[in-house]
Amino acid sequence: MHWRKYLLQGLHRLQKGPGYTYKELLVWYCNNTNTHGPKRIICEGPKKKAMWFLITLLFASLVCWQWGVFIKTYLSWDVSVSLSLGFKTMDFPAVTICNSSPFRYSKAKPLLKDLDELMQVVLDRILAPEPTLANTTGALNFTLWNHTPLVLIDERDPQHPVVLDLFGDNHNASAGSSAAPARAGNAPGYKLAMRLCSLNGTVCTFRNFTSATRAVTEWYVLQATNIFSQVPHQQLVEMGYPAEHMILACLFGTEPCSYRNFTSIFYPDYGNCYIFNWGMEEAALPSANPGAEFGLKLILDIDQEDYVPFLASTAGARLVLHEQRTYPFIKEEGIYATSGTETSIGVLVDKLQRMGEPYSPCTRNGSDVAIRNLYSSYNTTYSIQACLHSCFQEHMVRNCSCAHYLYPLPPGQRYCNSRDFPDWAHCYFDLRMSLAQRESCIRMCKESCNDTQYKMTISMADWPSEASEDWIFHVLSQERDHSTNITLSKKGIVKLNIYFQEFNYRTIEESAANNMVWLLSNLGGQFGFWMGGSVLCLIEFGEIIIDFLWITIIKLVAFSKGLRQRRAQAPYTGPPPTVAELVEAHTNFGFQPDATHPSPHAEAYPEQHAPPIPGTPPPNYDSLRLQPLDTIESDSEGDVI
Amino acid sequence: MAPGEKIKAKIKKNLPVRGPQAPTLRDLMHWYCMNTNTHGCRRIVVSRGRLRRLLWILFTLTAVALIVWQCALLVSSFYTVSVSIKVHFQKLDFPAVTICNINPYKYSVVRDLLADLDQETRGALRTLYGFSEVKSRKRRGAASENPAWAGIQPKFLNTIPLLAFSENEKGKARDFFTGRKRKVDGTIIHRASNVMQVHESKKTVGFQLCPSNDTSNCATYTFSSGVNAIQEWYKLHYMNIMAQVPLEKKINMSYSAEELLVTCSFDGTSCDARNFTLFHHPMYGNCYTFNNRENETTLSTSRGGSEYGLQVILYVDEEEYNPFLVSSTGAKVLIHQQNEYPFIEDVGTEIETAMSTSIGMHLTESFKLSEPYSQCTEDGRDVPVTNIYNASYSLQVCLYSCFQTKMVEKCGCAQYSQPLPPNASYCNYQQNSNWMYCYYELYQAFVKEELDCQTVCRETCRFKEWTLTASLAQWPSEASEKWLLRVLTWDQGQQINKQLNKTDLAKLLIFYKDLNQRSIMESPANSIEVLLSNFGGQLGLWMSCSVVCVIEIIEVFFIDSFSIIARRQWQKAKEWWARKQTAPSQQGQDNPALQMDEDLPTFTSALHLPPAPGAQVPGTPPPRYNTLHLERAFSHQLPDTQAPSEP
Repeated sequence: MHWRKYLLQGLHRLQKGPGYTYKELLVWYCNNTNTHGPKRIICEGPKKKAMWFLITLLFASLVCWQWGVFIKTYLSWDVSVSLSLGFKTMDFPAVTICNSSPFRYSKAKPLLKDLDELMQVVLDRILAPEPTLANTTGALNFTLWNHTPLVLIDERDPQHPVVLDLFGDNHNASAGSSAAPARAGNAPGYKLAMRLCSLNGTVCTFRNFTSATRAVTEWYVLQATNIFSQVPHQQLVEMGYPAEHMILACLFGTEPCSYRNFTSIFYPDYGNCYIFNWGMEEAALPSANPGAEFGLKLILDIDQEDYVPFLASTAGARLVLHEQRTYPFIKEEGIYATSGTETSIGVLVDKLQRMGEPYSPCTRNGSDVAIRNLYSSYNTTYSIQACLHSCFQEHMVRNCSCAHYLYPLPPGQRYCNSRDFPDWAHCYFDLRMSLAQRESCIRMCKESCNDTQYKMTISMADWPSEASEDWIFHVLSQERDHSTNITLSKKGIVKLNIYFQEFNYRTIEESAANNMVWLLSNLGGQFGFWMGGSVLCLIEFGEIIIDFLWITIIKLVAFSKGLRQRRAQAPYTGPPPTVAELVEAHTNFGFQPDATHPSPHAEAYPEQHAPPIPGTPPPNYDSLRLQPLDTIESDSEGDVI
Repeated sequence: MAPGEKIKAKIKKNLPVRGPQAPTLRDLMHWYCMNTNTHGCRRIVVSRGRLRRLLWILFTLTAVALIVWQCALLVSSFYTVSVSIKVHFQKLDFPAVTICNINPYKYSVVRDLLADLDQETRGALRTLYGFSEVKSRKRRGAASENPAWAGIQPKFLNTIPLLAFSENEKGKARDFFTGRKRKVDGTIIHRASNVMQVHESKKTVGFQLCPSNDTSNCATYTFSSGVNAIQEWYKLHYMNIMAQVPLEKKINMSYSAEELLVTCSFDGTSCDARNFTLFHHPMYGNCYTFNNRENETTLSTSRGGSEYGLQVILYVDEEEYNPFLVSSTGAKVLIHQQNEYPFIEDVGTEIETAMSTSIGMHLTESFKLSEPYSQCTEDGRDVPVTNIYNASYSLQVCLYSCFQTKMVEKCGCAQYSQPLPPNASYCNYQQNSNWMYCYYELYQAFVKEELDCQTVCRETCRFKEWTLTASLAQWPSEASEKWLLRVLTWDQGQQINKQLNKTDLAKLLIFYKDLNQRSIMESPANSIEVLLSNFGGQLGLWMSCSVVCVIEIIEVFFIDSFSIIARRQWQKAKEWWARKQTAPSQQGQDNPALQMDEDLPTFTSALHLPPAPGAQVPGTPPPRYNTLHLERAFSHQLPDTQAPSEP
């Protein structure tokens, strides 16, 4: 029922015109508003009024500008960081240990036999180029060689480099190449290069090397990858170093542990790796004390004698500290521990916790990254390294139609090998060197919001000492191999101490620098500072604007009505009709259905109009609008009382 | 009467619009308190009762005091910084890597220059410690064969005699050369004795520096061990000799890039000596900087891990080492910014032979805010020390430049291990006979911060820092040693013709562990906007005040008060004048005030409104014309009534 009343009132107003003028409204607003400036405009003299008007305007624009600045600052999503540093009981990091050599040579020898023989001959060829050695090449398996051969490039004449095949004299050499007749092995100007061909050997590129060491190593790694990618996983694991062979002693704090506490994982570069405290099946182990006595102590045997000679030129244990339930990226983030030394690693956990969108571009769990995480099969969490590797593998599959051996296998794909994919090496090197590929991966992968790094302080000492060497080796040999002979040597033994430092964490946590409270208090502060205003003042202002619009609407309605009436009265001449006339005109109009001859009436009206209505003075029509005045009056009267 | 006028009349009636026109200051105050927008003042005036009024006065004053105090705090803490740490994962610029052999010059080449010095050193060793050369090393055969020690007049030991002090004979020392005792007077300075308590249990060794032609004012430097004393003594003479050798010759005496670098690869591709720039360091000879070539773009890495960084195998020829100058073997590596000067002797990582040193890097970039937040400098242009290095400003550069400049000023020549300032030459005995004494004096002053270098030099505002994690592994491994050394020998065969040994080689890997770059950034904690809004918050909280109120206060308390006082004075003066002119004045008293009143605008005149017409129409009250509008309501019905009538 109420709305009907309001509607009627509204209609009533539309007919009667507004109850007040713009000026009244403005004065009323200025007088009653709570903002400080406007009041002064109306209660001062003309000069001061102008001044106050300008000041109010200036301050209002200042407030608007400053509000804009604040809102812009707020929308820039700045963060502030808090840094805390100290010691607390924390989960000990997961420790992944690998041997530098992926496989035991004694076990891998049958697979690598052909390749190693070839390698020996290649080395002889490069180093001692006398053709007398040529007869030894007869028994070699050249299928490996012919796929991606190494060539010598004679660059003594920079304009016309000559490509020399290493086995040029007794094998089919490409056109233009010939056996080096009088090649001085280490003469300047000779370079080794790897020939990578695709499309059945029609398109060939040369991958140049400035040093033979690198060329030979890279060539061997490529060939070995070819071989290993065709071997079933189980066999690879068997070829690697078994845990009971590698991990001789383990002590975590005061708790003894053994190789059984390690989770095995196969890492293509380093063979069998063992993870301590990964937290996959059981809860992570906490460490409540700083210092080497309370950390992890390990004695490892890396068995240097059994290294694959051409694959592992660096001897040592490789280890990486990482967070629980993350995949260890040993090649990127790992460090070495030398044999015959005790390596002590003090750990500081450096944590960075970020807010995520829209504050910083990072991802919480990788679900919003467009790249399928291949490492999720290990049940590990997202990390940027995992994303980059997955991205590379994805590109590899797309460009070369096979997956690279070093990265996990995407479902439905096969690893590259030169038997099934003869062009893969060419394709792989292209991709590896392609900056566009890397940049697209960097663009697509996002950092994870919680980033944990383990800062290490590494120190080393000789171990075991000369005096203790004998008994230590004796005991360890007895334990592992049950033999009275010493089966270990200083060249293979690695001791590791990993422990928390006195300050074991440094946490950098992000929080929003400018939150809603900050924004509101600053907006309020600005408004208050310049004009003494508040939100209520804004509401007042809004109210006034609505009133203004209302007046305008009413006036417009009245104006359009007036226009229509004037058009209707267009035939009339003379002075404009009074209200009474109009009223009567309307009355007449309403009561005369047949308006066929209005002319006599029209003549009659002016006559009637000429003498004013006798007696009472013309009523002050304005005073009829009692409603607004009444309210003011009652207000002011209340004040007076 | 028009309704607008009526409102205004009401306002006028309720508002005592007579602030500036107030006849007395008291009235003005009253008017101000009643009309001001700040809270509190009004309560003072309105409150009844003395206690209440007093309380309100107290509250108001407390609020004012609090505002002033808080605002002062805000202003004083304006120049504070907030730190933000950001991590970006992106392609990173690879830093410049400077690699030096620890030994500066090939001993076989430089031996001729140092022959006399070495002989005397050996002689001194023999005299003091009874050490005679063990001729196990074939390379020293020629030099140590010379037994004619007694016959030569030693020039180096004469200039700076090496002395052994025994505890029980104060002021007496034994000369190394002659073996006879000599009296030592002047100041005896124990190196570092003012830092550490030296236990003088055994005899000390040292050397004496005297200004030329004046043996009375000698400074004697003593060391607790002969090793330090002899090395220091050797170094002084060595610098003296090397200062006279032209740079060209020195570069030729040192190692070439091809010799030092056996293999090199960066980011999976091969590189060679051409990718390195020569940088000659006075104490380390030829150093080579990777990724620091002018007119070339800085290399960057787009993948982390050792494979994608810099991998070099260095040839460190131990047989060419100078026995007295350097006592450790290996190479030194420094990771720095491209335009930065590598202070290899101060900050370097030493790498071992027969080992593979892998250095993982993390990049941290720091930005500080300069004046007025802190005392750092953007590019060193505002530091009053001329940069004698051909490199960008850093604190270290500034300190050394400052020292070198002072050295040239005081001693007339430049110290050998730092670059030459313009119009100066390196110190040597021929030209500056007592430079060593001067140098040591100056050095003492420098260490004690008496040269003002430490106060003048300022740190830089932005710097990149690479945190390194170095780990060692045995290289080459037992299994691969045989073939690897053969191939490496072939690689190096162009430079030297000898079978390489694994102790001659060192492998070095420098790489980014991951591509996360941490930036530690300082940003102003406060801006003008925040300060103002804090002001506003304080003003609003305590008194609901704003700038408008401040303007009001100025207006009322200064302008209006003064005008009132001036008016009164003027009135008085006029009165006085009138009384003086004509004793019987006629109503002169009233006029000025009235005139003022007329001049000052009334409310209606201020608004330029027409004067209100006589509001009171006598007689009948106005009729309620609302009733007239019935017709209009009727006319609305017209179309309805007409519609059915029309067929």
